[in-house]
Amino acid sequence: MIDFSILFEHGDMFLEGFWNTVQASLLALVGSFALGTIFAIFRISPIRPLNWIGTAYVEFVRNIPLILVVFLFFVGLPALGIVLSPFVAGTLGLTVYTAAFIAETIRAGIQAIPKGQMEAARSSGLTYNQAMRYIILPQAIKVVIPPMGNQFINLVKNSSVLGVIAGLDLMYFGDLISAETFVTFDVYIFVACFYLILTLPLSLLVGHLERRLAGSR
Amino acid sequence: MISFHQVNKHYGNFHVLKNIDLHINQGEVVVVIGPSGSGKSTMVRCINRLETVTSGELLVDGVKVNDKNTDINKLRRNIGMVFQHFNLYPHKTVLENITLAPIKVLGVSQKEAEETALYYLEKVGIPDKVDKFPTQLSGGQQQRVAIARGLAMRPKIMLFDEPTSALDPETIGEVLDVMKKLAKEGMTMVVVTHEMGFAREVADRIVFMDQGRILEEATPKEFFENPREERARLFLSRILNH
Repeated sequence: MIDFSILFEHGDMFLEGFWNTVQASLLALVGSFALGTIFAIFRISPIRPLNWIGTAYVEFVRNIPLILVVFLFFVGLPALGIVLSPFVAGTLGLTVYTAAFIAETIRAGIQAIPKGQMEAARSSGLTYNQAMRYIILPQAIKVVIPPMGNQFINLVKNSSVLGVIAGLDLMYFGDLISAETFVTFDVYIFVACFYLILTLPLSLLVGHLERRLAGSR
Repeated sequence: MISFHQVNKHYGNFHVLKNIDLHINQGEVVVVIGPSGSGKSTMVRCINRLETVTSGELLVDGVKVNDKNTDINKLRRNIGMVFQHFNLYPHKTVLENITLAPIKVLGVSQKEAEETALYYLEKVGIPDKVDKFPTQLSGGQQQRVAIARGLAMRPKIMLFDEPTSALDPETIGEVLDVMKKLAKEGMTMVVVTHEMGFAREVADRIVFMDQGRILEEATPKEFFENPREERARLFLSRILNH
């Protein structure tokens, strides 16, 4: 049977890890959304050099394992004299990594809007930026919300990479508790449950939004 | 009002428009016909720079369309455009579709823009649809909203790019009626269409294109009764006798 006493005896550690996972996820969520939007706009911009920057970013970051991106911040930056705490380095790595996927999601959403929408808007005298703001983005957001939700679920799960660099997250404390108590299976079951507390509601929310948005438009 | 001087356009190796010379006067209704792929739509889309020309000069209302110093957004205010697939904004109501550009581009007040919108909706015969979304309308109704949207900017020129090609046959008439009314009121119109009845009745001039060239320019009477060009004769015989 599963030993629940571990949950109570090490409750403070579980909670600290959980809380740090929530923080890392939220920070990376906001950061990767902002960064991803910028790179998505770069990728579809009519200005060529911006295209190249956007494409380079997405292709490099997306095709490197997450843990290497995190290592870049954790061991790469100190080599340049910038030392970050494991938590900050891990969250930054997570942000940069997720932003590449968010950028692709947003770009795909914008490009899913028929070309005629931009043409109609521009031919009525709206500027490119106005057309984006009033016509393209409001429609793209509906297309983008469900896949974006999935990216955020991945983000929460991927935050467990912080455990590898002592980022004080749920995974890290899970490892610590199991090493202290020599109980492995039960501890990781609890860790999994804590992740589910975060990801299941997100998943249900995504499903709900998917159904609602399928109705409109 | 609109002058093409030796305009050429290439898409890569494909020569879409070849030495186009065309002059359209204020108040004139010019109907462009020809087989598909002949460059009709491309030519019309050059007028508001939805397509750029490769060489030659294009003047609209005295302004060089392809000049670097031309404020294209300013020029476009004077040119309404109606598309084959309507291109209404699906996330906005009929009223919002029509008032958006007047408010954001011309800077008129919401109230004034709505009054103008209602005036033109009345004119195209669907004032009762103000609060509907485009998907709730038939094709013919959507296209009439698109015309009202163009007119609400009070343009000097209206461009129509196959406005009835995506409509089911029963609703084509209602759109053509609106266009006829507009022509009678003296709007400068350039219309790409396959509706020969409309061309014959409403056009001041027919422009016949094939393979990127203007082959013939004539009044509807001349063109339909006695086309000069062999290619035009073939085209007419194919679409009229079937």
